Amino acid sequence: MSEAQVTKSPTVVVRDPGHTAMQLHDVAVSFNGRVAVRDATFDVAKNRVTSLIGPSGSGKTTLLRALNRLHDLTPGAKVSGRIVLEGTDIYRGDMTVTELRTRVGMVFQRPNPFPTMSIYDNVVSGLRFNGIKKKSLLDEAAETSLRSAALWDSVESRLKVAASNLSGGEQQRLCIARALAMDPEVLLMDEPTSALDPIATLKIEELMTTLKERVTIVIVTHNMQQAARISDDCAFLLMGEDRAGELIEFDTTEKIFNNPNDSRTLDYTLGRFG
Amino acid sequence: MNDLTELDEPIEIAQTMRDEIRRVSNATRARRLMVSRVMTTLCAVTLAVTAVPLALLLYQLIKRGAPELTWTFFTKVPETPSLIAPNATGGLSNAILGSIALNVYASILAIPIGVLVGVYLAESMNKFAATLRVIAQTMAGAPSILMGLFAFSFLLQDLHIGFSAIAGSFALAVLMLPVIIIATEIAVLNVPNTLREAGLALGAKPHKVSMRVVIPSALTGIVTGCILAISRAIGETAPVLLVIGGGYLNTWKPLSPVSALPLSIYENAKSEWPSQRAQVWGAALLLVIFVFILSLTARIWASRKQKVSN
Repeated sequence: MSEAQVTKSPTVVVRDPGHTAMQLHDVAVSFNGRVAVRDATFDVAKNRVTSLIGPSGSGKTTLLRALNRLHDLTPGAKVSGRIVLEGTDIYRGDMTVTELRTRVGMVFQRPNPFPTMSIYDNVVSGLRFNGIKKKSLLDEAAETSLRSAALWDSVESRLKVAASNLSGGEQQRLCIARALAMDPEVLLMDEPTSALDPIATLKIEELMTTLKERVTIVIVTHNMQQAARISDDCAFLLMGEDRAGELIEFDTTEKIFNNPNDSRTLDYTLGRFG
Repeated sequence: MNDLTELDEPIEIAQTMRDEIRRVSNATRARRLMVSRVMTTLCAVTLAVTAVPLALLLYQLIKRGAPELTWTFFTKVPETPSLIAPNATGGLSNAILGSIALNVYASILAIPIGVLVGVYLAESMNKFAATLRVIAQTMAGAPSILMGLFAFSFLLQDLHIGFSAIAGSFALAVLMLPVIIIATEIAVLNVPNTLREAGLALGAKPHKVSMRVVIPSALTGIVTGCILAISRAIGETAPVLLVIGGGYLNTWKPLSPVSALPLSIYENAKSEWPSQRAQVWGAALLLVIFVFILSLTARIWASRKQKVSN
């Protein structure tokens, strides 16, 4: 599907095609017919950090996982609506799921380095999975991505050591390096600091601010201060009366936190519930 | 102000609750201590009931078996004692060699298939997998003589393969399969889903995730399962009884009739010569040593791997 076709489509609003990494239009995810999240329509702007916030059960993680088709694995899961990456519908368009996932990387809630692999093998695992074998290429990718993840200096001398020897914060940065090695356009982060201590959290937050120069970031966070500190745009989700999550408001982070349109957004950001 | 008055009541309830817990706790302390002591004693008794017979068995086995484990035992083939030389039993080198050959062939047959089926069962949720799982679980509980009968009727009668090591290995492999399948399935299911997702999220195809992430992570459990399957097979008499043929030759060839330690035990235990009956203890001890070494290897391997992954 070409970009022109998408922009012609009346259902997709393209604000600024050159500056949009992903577009979500009326996205809903259901499991065995039970809707988990719905009404998600917003644009993920390029080279910005977009945060998804909202209380537990509002469908933040479910929505995030739809962006690289991780729900494909779950029996009974159904994603409707349209999610467009650079002009191609990622569910119906001409793009394989493996290609999508090399372009949209993911960092998970708990650090999940491959326990049987060394630090080096972890970083280049994605490249190897996709058939890249050339040593010089792998070496270069390993160093570049470990540097980008601010981990190179502390692991340079022990690249062959098992990844499980690293601390939790280091393991999470290793997972970021592993995702960056694929040179993705978008990086999805599912509460990446929720299992980390405040210092490790700070390091990852600093990392995100520098990383957005080269990769668009979508982050799910429970921590409103974190969303306010690091994100440029913000989507606020809330659980509806039928226990399905829905998008309440999407805007710049500044607007969401200072002057939201919806009173429920204000209540949440002020800590009145959730 | 409103908030504070609302809070007053729960605090009072908490206070009385705390007093009540303390009162009941003090009143029942003596009784709880006694129950605890009785249970501890019961545990010690049951432990003794289990451990004492085992210790006695091992003691007898070592006391009677160790003197039999001579150089001749390992290097010579059996001889038949006579009135002139009532202690000339020879050795059991043929049975030792036969047992090793049987188990090596059985492992070669059973491990690749068992591991692949186990991974398949763990990674797929369809009806075929469910059926396979039931079959594996039923096979695990089937009497081992059935495997011998199966090998006998299929290989010897239908395919006309004579008494041979390979027929015995086939029977042992069928016996090992369910153990390996079930151990592999559990090991693979225990691999955290987040690792699978991490692999897939990097654009890996599902089979690559299985081969490069899931199986290596489950390897400890898989290897432990295989070693346990071998140690079960090595002591089995029934499956090989009908099909390996026995004989006094030192051979390991797949198509030759071979002997095996459990078979020698079975044969010699019926002997009229005390010297041959005594040799049985040596064979039994050697089998126990084999099994001990195998399970020790499995344990050491498992704990070493655990250390690496922690």
